Amino acid sequence: MTDKLKEVKLFLGPQHPGMHGNYSVHMYVDGDLIKKARPMPGMLHRGFEKLMERKLWMSNTALIPRICVIEPDINEMVFAMGVEALAGIEVPEKAHWIRMMILEMARVATHLFALGGIGGPTGIYTSMYWAVAERDLILDLFEKLTGARVYHIFIMPGGVRKDLPENFLDDLSTYLESLEKKLPDFEELLLKHPVIHARTKDNIMLPKEVVHDLGVTGIGMRSATGVAYDLRKVKPYARYDQVEFDVPTATYSDALTRIHIKFAEIKQSIRILKQVIEKMPAEGPVRVPIGTGNALKIKVPAGMIYTAVESTRGEYGYFIVSDGSDKPYRIAVRGASYPQGLLGIEKYLPGTRIDDAPLWMDTMGVCSPEIDR
Amino acid sequence: MTNSMSNLKGLLNKHYQISEFEEPIAMELIFDVRNDQLLDVLAFMKSIGFGQLSLLTCIDWIEKNEFQLVYILMNWDSGIHALVRTAVDRDNPKFRTIEHIYPGVKYYERDVHEFFGVEFDGNEDSFKHLFLELWEADRPMKKDFDPEAYSEKKYGMRKYRTEFPRKIGGE
Repeated sequence: MTDKLKEVKLFLGPQHPGMHGNYSVHMYVDGDLIKKARPMPGMLHRGFEKLMERKLWMSNTALIPRICVIEPDINEMVFAMGVEALAGIEVPEKAHWIRMMILEMARVATHLFALGGIGGPTGIYTSMYWAVAERDLILDLFEKLTGARVYHIFIMPGGVRKDLPENFLDDLSTYLESLEKKLPDFEELLLKHPVIHARTKDNIMLPKEVVHDLGVTGIGMRSATGVAYDLRKVKPYARYDQVEFDVPTATYSDALTRIHIKFAEIKQSIRILKQVIEKMPAEGPVRVPIGTGNALKIKVPAGMIYTAVESTRGEYGYFIVSDGSDKPYRIAVRGASYPQGLLGIEKYLPGTRIDDAPLWMDTMGVCSPEIDR
Repeated sequence: MTNSMSNLKGLLNKHYQISEFEEPIAMELIFDVRNDQLLDVLAFMKSIGFGQLSLLTCIDWIEKNEFQLVYILMNWDSGIHALVRTAVDRDNPKFRTIEHIYPGVKYYERDVHEFFGVEFDGNEDSFKHLFLELWEADRPMKKDFDPEAYSEKKYGMRKYRTEFPRKIGGE
């Protein structure tokens, strides 16, 4: 043995149980301390932006949900918002409420999945089994509503695809009640668990000063700045201005704080969903036609627009350019995890230990397909 | 004071003589700046509350023979998105980095360089590959790039043996 430790290069991912999706981080480690980290995306690059330029406006609705696998509905929403604004369409009232319901259901599902994911790198596998089982019940609801479990393709430019099925709101409220009953168990299992505290408290920090510079949004930003920087409040879309909810914030962003905020956001989403059930209009159209004639061949007036929504990982937006033809001229995707997944890894992983790297992905929210696009 | 749209427009007009604005939806402002003005304007925008760069992207206007760079800025206190556009020559796509103003732009510039070929002077990493390992053709997001021709060239049809040693069913 020499007295001098050698720097070793380690690959975290793309095939690693602690890794989220096909994504890789090259870590230069000394002992178990990370000295340098380099993100290596590109394994899920499928050329979405190029593909979108070659497809009709309507055919694109089937393609875009694939950009983020765990939370696909935000893609449909930003795309629909952009097309509607360019074409000058007013969406019917009921469609707004259905959209909001879908987005919040997706938020609960994604947060549950992420909370379960924390079980992986910390060794509390019970949380994974519990959370994924809960998420599956939401997918059942999605199946009843849209016919599909993961990629729903339900939010369309002009409204939503169909009206609610019979008794759907009753099913939803039954589910919400059962979820609410289980939340204290999750709290015991995750938030109060000594292992979680030992691993995440005062660890994997995000300093407040760098939030804007990095471009980090969402939970990362709110847990550091203490201000309710949430697009649902700052720039309400759908009908978020007509429901009451709080945005959980904190001023000290370690991994534990971010887990707490994720958990609090589930509760707020349940609160929003309950109000949606109450206030959803019983009657009324859910979709207006975008143009006359064949829906596939619609043309969107020339112009450019940037639309954004609050995803579970932060500001998620599409920059849409139309030249007036039947296909988009250019669409650029602002993946919410781009900042924390690339520059964040390069700057803030060094100094932590090897086993903490997956916790950054979990608590900041890194979704590799939306980085690669 | 700079919370409202009209104030913002007034400031931009006063300092940079920008008078043409587009507002596709509420709380969103699009405007063009000259190439040499851009860094000034961005630094100014940052000083009045647009602390976050949400996205840097590029549009290939092949008929006008130019690339249009679009910097999407966000002011979280007022909720205004500002889209600052500028044009670069398509034949000689060179521009300067804005890493010293918005450090978060580092990977976006790398992204734009990889997909459009715009070189950002001052961003040392921008020449490295990010997504497209072993790429052997022109920049893929350009409008004159033909994906079909590239895939045929690189991943052309392989010839398979169609004769099998024994016939199924045995005759």
